[in-house]
This record gives sequence, C-alpha cells and structure tokens, in this order.
Amino acid sequence: MADLGRIWTKTPMTSSKQTIPAEPVSDPIAIGSFSRHSFRAKFLLVVGAAVAFDLLLGGGISIWNVQRLSKDATEQVSQGLTEATEGYLETYIETTALRANLMLDRVYSEVEVLGNSLQVLIDNPDAESKIGSTLENHPRLGDRLQYNPEGNWTQNLPGRSVVSVWGYLLDEDGQPTPDVQKQIEDSSAFNVIAPELMSSGAAKLQMYYVGPKDRPIMRTTPYTEQAQTFDKLYPGHNESNFWDFFFPGVYEGWQQWLVDPASRPVDRDVVATAPYVDAITGALIVSFFQPLWTQDRSDVAGMAAVDITLNQLNNLVENVRIADTGFGFLAGSNGNVIAASQAGGAILGLVSMDSEGQGVTGINRFLNQSRHPAVASMELPTDNRTVIDHFTVTEGDIEKSYLILLKRLEPTNLWDGEKIVSETLTLGFVVSSQEIYESLTAVQQQISEATTRIVYWQITALLISLIIVFIAVYAISGRITAGLSSLAGAARSLQNKDYSVRVSIPSRDEVAAVGLAFNRMAEEISFHTENLENLVEERTKKLESANYEIVELNRKLQTENLRMGAELNVAKRIQEMVLPRRGELEQISQIEIVGYMEPADEVGGDYYDVLADGNRIKIGIGDVTGHGLESGVLMLMVQSVARALQEKGDTDPIAFLNVLNRTIFKNIERTKSDKHLTLAFVDYADDKVTLSGQHEDVLIIRGNGEIEQIDTMDLGFPVGLESDIADFVSTRDLAFERDDVLILHTDGVTEAENDAGDYFGLERLCESAQKYRGETAKQITEGIISDLRSHIGAHKVYDDITLVVLKHR
Amino acid sequence: MEISTKEYRVWIEGTKIHYEGTMRLSGTDAYAPILSLMNDVLQSKPDEITLDLTELEFLNSSGINLLAKFTIEVRKQPDISIRVNGSKAVPWQSKSLKNLQRLHPALELTIS
Repeated sequence: MADLGRIWTKTPMTSSKQTIPAEPVSDPIAIGSFSRHSFRAKFLLVVGAAVAFDLLLGGGISIWNVQRLSKDATEQVSQGLTEATEGYLETYIETTALRANLMLDRVYSEVEVLGNSLQVLIDNPDAESKIGSTLENHPRLGDRLQYNPEGNWTQNLPGRSVVSVWGYLLDEDGQPTPDVQKQIEDSSAFNVIAPELMSSGAAKLQMYYVGPKDRPIMRTTPYTEQAQTFDKLYPGHNESNFWDFFFPGVYEGWQQWLVDPASRPVDRDVVATAPYVDAITGALIVSFFQPLWTQDRSDVAGMAAVDITLNQLNNLVENVRIADTGFGFLAGSNGNVIAASQAGGAILGLVSMDSEGQGVTGINRFLNQSRHPAVASMELPTDNRTVIDHFTVTEGDIEKSYLILLKRLEPTNLWDGEKIVSETLTLGFVVSSQEIYESLTAVQQQISEATTRIVYWQITALLISLIIVFIAVYAISGRITAGLSSLAGAARSLQNKDYSVRVSIPSRDEVAAVGLAFNRMAEEISFHTENLENLVEERTKKLESANYEIVELNRKLQTENLRMGAELNVAKRIQEMVLPRRGELEQISQIEIVGYMEPADEVGGDYYDVLADGNRIKIGIGDVTGHGLESGVLMLMVQSVARALQEKGDTDPIAFLNVLNRTIFKNIERTKSDKHLTLAFVDYADDKVTLSGQHEDVLIIRGNGEIEQIDTMDLGFPVGLESDIADFVSTRDLAFERDDVLILHTDGVTEAENDAGDYFGLERLCESAQKYRGETAKQITEGIISDLRSHIGAHKVYDDITLVVLKHR
Repeated sequence: MEISTKEYRVWIEGTKIHYEGTMRLSGTDAYAPILSLMNDVLQSKPDEITLDLTELEFLNSSGINLLAKFTIEVRKQPDISIRVNGSKAVPWQSKSLKNLQRLHPALELTIS
C-alpha cells in the first residue's frame, strides 16, 4: 500500500510533466540578432561610445589647441609686426627730421659764412676801408653807381651783384652822402664773397646784405633790377627806412639782444622769417638773417641774409612715402603747415588761406583749423621725443583710421613780422592704419584661414575615423557575437524541444568552450528525454496494474466497511440496550445516581449498571478489553448474569462475583474469545456500601469534604481470565451516609491526556469532585466532565470515558 | 527481532523481552504480532523469560490481557521460570502487574 501510494503521488507529476513545459515554450524570449537588447548592439554601443568619446576628446583637444595656437600666433605676429612697423616709422621720421635739420643747418652755415666774413671786416676797419676802396675802384669788382632820377635812387650797372642806395641816403645831386659812400665801399667785399657762396652749397634764391639802420643800403647777388622791382611791388618803400618798411622789429630785436643776451630765444644768431611768397620770384620762400655787429658790439651793423625756396624742404617732406598714401608734413609751432603734399593736406583736411604780411605774403594752413575735429584737436609734441598716435576721420560715411608720428626739428629764431621769437618746426608722418597694418591683417587672415582649414580637416578626419571605426567594430562585433547568437538560437531550439540541435563555433575562446559544454548538455538532455519517455511508459504500465489492484482492494474494503458498519451498529444498539435508563435511576429513593458514558469509538468497552431490588441497590462498573461487537456481547452477557444473580437474591458479593466469573469464563472459552474484563460492584443498603471486585479506585467524598480513596486491587481479579477467582475476591464495607458522594470511573477518565501528554489523573478527579460535592449528583457529574474537557482541550480522546456518581439523599 | 512504531518499541535480547513507549493498540488482533514475538521466545523453551516493562509508560486493557494470556501460557510449562520487571514511576504497573503474579504465583515480579 505504501509503495503504491508513493507511485500514485508520483503519477500526477509524471503525467502533468508533459503539459507544463508547453506553456513557457509558447513565450520564448526571442532576441533578434540585432535588436537593441542583443549582445551585439550592446557591444557596438559600448565600443562605439568608447571610441567616439576618445576621438571626440582627442579631436576637441587638438581643435582647441589649434585655435589657441592660431590666437597666440596672431597675437605674436601682430605684436611683432606692429612693433616692426612702428619702429620703422619711428626710424624713418627721425632720419627725415635729421635730414631736415641738416638741410636747414647748411643754409644757416652759408648765411653765417657770409655774415662772419663781413663781420671780420667790420672788426678790422683799416682793412675794411683799404679792401673797400681797392675793390670799389676795380673795373670789374667795383660798383658803377648811376642815379635814377625817376625812382630817386642810385643803383649800379649790372655786375656780380646789385647795390641799391635809397633816395633818403642821397644828396641833392643824387650822390650818396659821404658816410653812405663809405658804407658802400666798406661793404664791397660782398661782391667778392657772396656770388661765390651763391654758386656753391645749398640751392639759394639770393644772398643779400643790408647796412645799418642809418645807412640801409642793400646789396644782392645775383644782379637784378632790384630797385625797379621794389618800386613796382612795394610803393613807398623809397620814402621809409628800409628796416622799418620791410622788417619791422628785427633790428630792434637784435639791439635788445645786445642789451640783454638772455632775450635771444635760441642760442644762434640766425633769424628766420615765416614762409612767404617772394615778390620778385613769386616763389614761396624763407629768409634767414645773420645780424652784423659794430666793432665794439654796441649796436647792430646790418645783416647778411639768404633767401631760399621751401622746395628742398618740401621735396624732402613731400617725398616721404609710406605705404600707398602715407605722407609727411612740416608744421610750425602755431600749427601752420609749411609743407605737405596736396593729397596729404587733403587727408589732414587743411584749409589754405592767403594772408597779407608786412611786405611779404605768407601762407596759412593751420592744423587747428582742419575740417576734421580729430586733427584740429591734435596737440603738437612739447619735447624732442617721437610721438605716435592714432586718429580717425570721417569722410562722408567712411571712417578712416590713421597712424600719426610727430617729431620736432631743431628750434630756431623766428621773426614773426613784429618781433623775434623761438620757433620749432614739427615733422609729421601720417599713414593709413589700414595700409600700414595691411600685412598684419593679411597675416591674421591667413592664420585664420589656416586655422579654419586645419579645423575643417580635423573634423573631416574625425568623422572618417568614426565611420571607419564603426564599420570595423560592426564587422568585428558580428564575429565576436556570432558564437553567442548561435548559442542563443540553439538554446531556443532546445526550449522548443528540438534536442537534436548542436552549435558550431569556430573560434577558440570562452564562447567556444560554452558551445562545447552546450553540445554535451544537449546530448545528455536528448538522451535523458528519450530515456525518460521509456521510463514513464514503463512506470505508467505498472501504475495501471497497481491502480487495478487498488480498485479491487477498495471494493473489498467497502464490503468490509459495510460489514463492520453493520456490526458496529449492532454493538452500539446492544450497549444502548444494556445501560440503565434514566427513569430507572430516578426511581431510587435513598441514593441519587447519575451515570455518564462517552465511547472513544462508536462502541466502547466500558460497562456500568444499576440493579435496584427493593432496598438493595447493586451498582456495577467494568471495562471489557477491546471494543466492538465482541466486547458488546461480552458486556451483555455480564449484564444478563448479574441481573439473573440479583434476581435470584444472592446477597453475598463474593459468591456473586465467583458465579459470574465462572459463567463468563466458560462462555469465553466456548466462544474462543480473547477478552476479559475488570469488574467491581458496590452494594448499598442502610447507609452502608460494600465494595467487591477489582477495578479502578473508588472515591468517597464525605459530607465534611474528606476524601477516601479505596484501592480495589485486593478485592478481586479480572473476570474471564481464570476459571476460579474465589481466592482473590473479598469485600470491604464502608459507611455511606447523608451528603456523602461516591464516584466510580474507568481509566478513560484518569488517563485522558492533554496536548502536553499529562494525564487528568486521580488527583485532579478528587479536586474536581471535592469542588462540586455540595451539588446534586447530576451537577457533580457535569462539573467533573467539564473540568475533564477543559483538561483534554483539543487533544485526542483515546479511551471510553465512564463516570458514575452516587450521592446519598 | 523488533517491532517498532512511532509510539512504542518491542524487542528481544536473548530471552529478555523489552517494552518501551505507549501501547494503545485497538484489540487482541492488533497485539497479535507482539504475542507472536513473545511466543517465539516461549517456544524456544528457555529456562527463564524476562519481561522488562520499566520503560513502558502506558498499556491499555487489551495489552494487559495480552500479558495475562502469556502468563497463563508460561504457567502451563513449569520448567520455564518467568520474571517481570516493572517501575514504580509508572502508575499502572504497580497495580496491574500484581494480577500476573496471582495468575502464576511462581512469577518473579520486581517493581523497582
């Protein structure tokens, strides 16, 4: 049976096994070879991300570096070019300034040579007069004076130089006064020196000599019709003193120098005039005067002078070429631009305005009157350092930026038309920033273009690298993950019960090792699966036959159960029939008797009976071994014999029990039954009880609460075991009076267990009986049973429980 | 020779029969295997048979019937002496085992 049961429990598992796997198979996790969950996609993603990160980082860093390099290079080149350009311009303007200074210095030197030569003669009057009279009488070097009555002046005929003697220096005959004559002779050395100086050295318009204020004769080389020209251009000059007419203030200025040498502005005697248009030549000229002093240096003795055009200086300044439109200019300290090309003047926004000077016509183009505010507000340098500045002019809508360099020339004494002042010319260079920085801009642009190109190529290279790497990774990933893919496919096939599947991985890595292991497993699974099918088949056959047997057995069992059920019903009926009726017990007047019986199974082996016969009452209690019909029949026999003996009027308990035992023993022998029973009797009469027979202890609870526990082992012997038990049977008499309680029980009461395995026991029974002794027999019974129930709890009841309570009324 | 269940154990050591645990078998039929085991010892006709009940905590009325029947069998063979060992610690033994001695006065009962 146990084996069959085990097989049976296995059977459902085995049979259901064929249906269970069908469900998961219907939902396999199919991963496409290139879905986003596939290993290959992840591999691509990881490797791709790593490579992309690397390339982008590297590319980014190199692009950033190129940009920075470009910026640095541009800065370096810009700085270098700016420094070089400005350095070049500085050198250029300084060189030009030096050249201008040298050019002027040469003119100064030549007028000084003339002046100093004449001064030597003044300082040596004897030589002066001898040389003068000698030269004056010389046919070629002497002056052949001729009075011009028309102009009222005397002038020589053409020769190496012209000497004009003004009307106010002549007598009535038109002859020079003696002191004037002396002056003419004394200054005749001019005729020797000046023409030679004219023909050499710097280009000069003319050199001339003017006598002291009281004899202001004028000698000029080369020869021109000087007086005639003066008459024409400067009417009235023959009536006024020459100095006052032409150069007012100069003479007085020199005289002041003698009085106060510190009043000389510049530490050189030469005095320049502001540029003016020469009346004779029409050229823009500048005169340089070298004063002559008397021998004792107490007064002015006239002057030597030279006129030059500004062409040379102009050429020098105007020939300055910087870039395309860069130009040079020369300005006076008052901002008057003396020299500048026309284009240059236009750039500076100069406005030319003619103005009349005393005797000469000057030219005025002032910087501070420029059309451009930036130019007009420009300050000229106050020391000899080169100034570099920028300014912006607006022509129409176009803004143009210029670089300007300013450098002062050597200072000089200047006759401003009234007095002698210090004058410093300033040389200026102007160049368009755009032009000068053209190369710089070009370089910057080239660097920028180069940078852009590099970055472009870098990005292109980066993208190409990425594409190549991705293609490579894609290709490689296919090979790397091919093994895994085929493993996954094979596993799916296996899941779908295709045990014939095998994988082939050509590589020699871990995946290939997994593949080999997989193939081995697949083989084993295949083998076991096929074997399992055979096994199941075999087992199913066995189960079928076992099942058949079980059905047979079940059928038999059912039959047996029916039989036993019928037997039990009979037994139960017998027990019901044997036990005394409640009504019977209630009729007993002296003693209150309550019996309680609860069989463990359908029919118990416990027995009790109350046999009342007039005043005599006999109460029996017993326990037949076993249960069932046989026990019931035995019990019925005992009851019948006991009733018979009682009816016969046998009052001796010992004889009563002996006869009963013999009767039962013989019947047991006849029926070949193995059973016997314990049996005890309580005989009541006249407030006294007599105990006989062996059974459980009898309890008597006295009216005062005392308990007597009577052992019955020596009062009898089990009934039905021995043919004669007379030797063992005896009696015991006890008082049983008003309110006394007597309790009989079977071992089902004392041996009832709780969950902990503790017996209810005699002690608890006594306690319980004592507790309820004051109550009626019925209440005592119910109380004890209730206590017993609460002791047992949910535990199994193994044996019949029988309780008989007697209470003396 | 041994009969063993969750509840009890009966086994033989020579001519000594040991009982252990709680025996609550339902009837004479249920005790048949144990009686058969005891009869095997008796049939070997030993000089002495010992029943060791010191470890038997509970025995129901059918079990006591078994012991009584076995004692009667032994009584029929005067050559075989029987010894019963019980324990005072087990309440039922001190009362019920005395009946065995009454059945067969030669039975040597030791309740320790």
